Amino acid sequence: MTVPLEVRDIWYGYPGGKGDVLKGVNLAVERGEVLAVVGLSGSGKSTLCYCLSGIVPHIYQGNLRGQTLIKGTPTTSMKIPEIATRLGIVFQEPDNQLFSPTVEDEVAFGPENLCLSREEIGERLELALKQVGMEGFRFGSPNQLSGGQKQLIALASVLSLDPEILIFDEAMSQIDEQGKAGIKSVIVGLKERDKTIVMIEHDFDNLDVADRVLLLRDGVLQPFEGRL
Amino acid sequence: MKTGLKGLDPRSKLVLVLCLSTLGVFIQDIGILTAVLCVSIALSTASGSRLFVLIRKFRRILWLFVAIAVIQSIFAPSGRVLVSLGGIKLITAGGLYKGVAMVLRMSIVMVSATIMATSNSREIVQGLVQWKVPYEIAFMVSVAIRFLPLLTDEIKNVVTAVQLRGIELDRIPARQRVKVYSYLIMPVVSGAVIKSRELATTMETRAFRAYPKRTSYMVLTMQRIDYTVIITSLITSILTLILYIKC
Amino acid sequence: MIEPYIELDDVSFAYERCAPVIGGLSLKLYKEQFTAITGPNGSGKTTLGKIMTGILRPQKGCVIICGRDSAGMKLGEIGQRIGYLFQNPGLQIFAPSVQEEISFALGLKGCSKEEIDSRVSRSLRDFDLTNLSDAFPFKLSRGEKQRLAIAAVLVNKPDFLILDEPTTGLDMERRRALSDILLGLKEKGIGMAVISHDRVFIDRLADRTIKMHGGEIVEDRT
Repeated sequence: MTVPLEVRDIWYGYPGGKGDVLKGVNLAVERGEVLAVVGLSGSGKSTLCYCLSGIVPHIYQGNLRGQTLIKGTPTTSMKIPEIATRLGIVFQEPDNQLFSPTVEDEVAFGPENLCLSREEIGERLELALKQVGMEGFRFGSPNQLSGGQKQLIALASVLSLDPEILIFDEAMSQIDEQGKAGIKSVIVGLKERDKTIVMIEHDFDNLDVADRVLLLRDGVLQPFEGRL
Repeated sequence: MKTGLKGLDPRSKLVLVLCLSTLGVFIQDIGILTAVLCVSIALSTASGSRLFVLIRKFRRILWLFVAIAVIQSIFAPSGRVLVSLGGIKLITAGGLYKGVAMVLRMSIVMVSATIMATSNSREIVQGLVQWKVPYEIAFMVSVAIRFLPLLTDEIKNVVTAVQLRGIELDRIPARQRVKVYSYLIMPVVSGAVIKSRELATTMETRAFRAYPKRTSYMVLTMQRIDYTVIITSLITSILTLILYIKC
Repeated sequence: MIEPYIELDDVSFAYERCAPVIGGLSLKLYKEQFTAITGPNGSGKTTLGKIMTGILRPQKGCVIICGRDSAGMKLGEIGQRIGYLFQNPGLQIFAPSVQEEISFALGLKGCSKEEIDSRVSRSLRDFDLTNLSDAFPFKLSRGEKQRLAIAAVLVNKPDFLILDEPTTGLDMERRRALSDILLGLKEKGIGMAVISHDRVFIDRLADRTIKMHGGEIVEDRT
């Protein structure tokens, strides 16, 4: 059986940047596995997420060697929207990933693109909002939410796509204790449904849901032994 | 549920706005232009726009309108001279007339645009999609339109941030102030560009354009009032134009 | 009796066409205390911080800074006394390079070139930004932007600091480094209010913890 998400010897440097950020990253994440990646800020964790989701090389070109395979298909041979039907990514900065006038439009946007029926979109919308505990804000504007609430909506907008692979780039950084506990139970639920999950984390408290923790340091992944 | 003009379908609003601005562009007569402007103001208020809030917000740039009228009259002098300076005809009756017409025209376009602004961007996109505009184009238009508020947000943030560093912008000498502003232009614009690119990337990572088709969770339905508004505005504008050309 | 540095008297605030976010809140903040402001998402913490700095002006009640009603103070005037860190650091960086970001205000305030250089290089070192000094700020990672924004605020030597979620995007080591720097500032007598969820961070630094819920203070513990 093919591995859902696999990285083969990736080297990458941004265009105009000083040298490579990633220097030979190898990784395979199984179905139903939650992998956490930790590392100092600036160590290239977000860049790794870009490489996993095809944003590198489709959006940021730069110097890329090696390849990312999603269910055996290299990301270079798929366009981003095509990748998005299998892989969902939540970015770090909530302000830069909400673009709709209402929360409902925001969360419905993904399933609409998947051409689901209106009934199913409605169901997914309700479920996703319930999972992040933001049902009460459905008809409000994302602009008027607080930082943490915006993160929850960004998360719901990807959950509603129900992809097989999920990538969370510090997606809980501004969320309160109660919200974090909720999200962690969502992650456990996704794992039980055999989803593949990669989470970038700064908060060691959130690592308890992970099956495996790796440290990104000096451009390579290594086992994490409790110290960055 | 919103009622009356407030609950109008975005498509009806679009027709209404197009009619009003067409009249504004074609008609030269100040009397009729004033009438069209009054109708626009009335309709804008009735549709629930925040016209007067906006006017108060932008009152500082209202003098720009007067300036446009004066400049227009300087560059297109005709008729009786009203004010002259050293042999140069500054304000002439004909020029002033054209200037005022110009201001009225701009006001009509802007006031009628506020009617459109009472629908949110998703509703307008949906209106276009249901009018068989390809969804990619409809969304791209909305992304392009969003760039402007992104830029103003960015400017507002930077001005706030600069002041929060303890700099009183209105206290520093004018020459230095110009230097500060010009220094900030590049980062402000590139900040807005980066942000809009990130938004576009996010849309793609949510499978935008994965398939040639797309479902819409939102469905707009035209009510009787929508048909009434569309038909009335079309007939009224065509009649007005015909009468205007004939007379 | 010590004078409060910032005093809020029966302050209410609502965003345009929305329900009030802050309702009739009174609060005194002292320079001698390190105050932490916590509470669930959407409880009005960020709004409160923005009201204290004058970015948002309350519809009701008043904010008194150093004994003066801030309604009559320009943002630039408040900025000379209070340093503020936005929740999203991307909103407050604007210069074409990292070092210019830090030196920006110093130049306009008429500091000498030597002084600017020494303060900037000190600040770059404190926040581990020396090797990024010529980088374009918008292209930094989230954590780097956060450090840059804090550095740019601190280099102006404010009397009082309001930091909105300063540890977001910072790794453990850098959180520790930040809390060391803040402790140092506290010893120098700089007042601080920190909005944060980060319990470890707060526990290490705060003398006083204010808990918010639904736009009100529900707990105030010293």
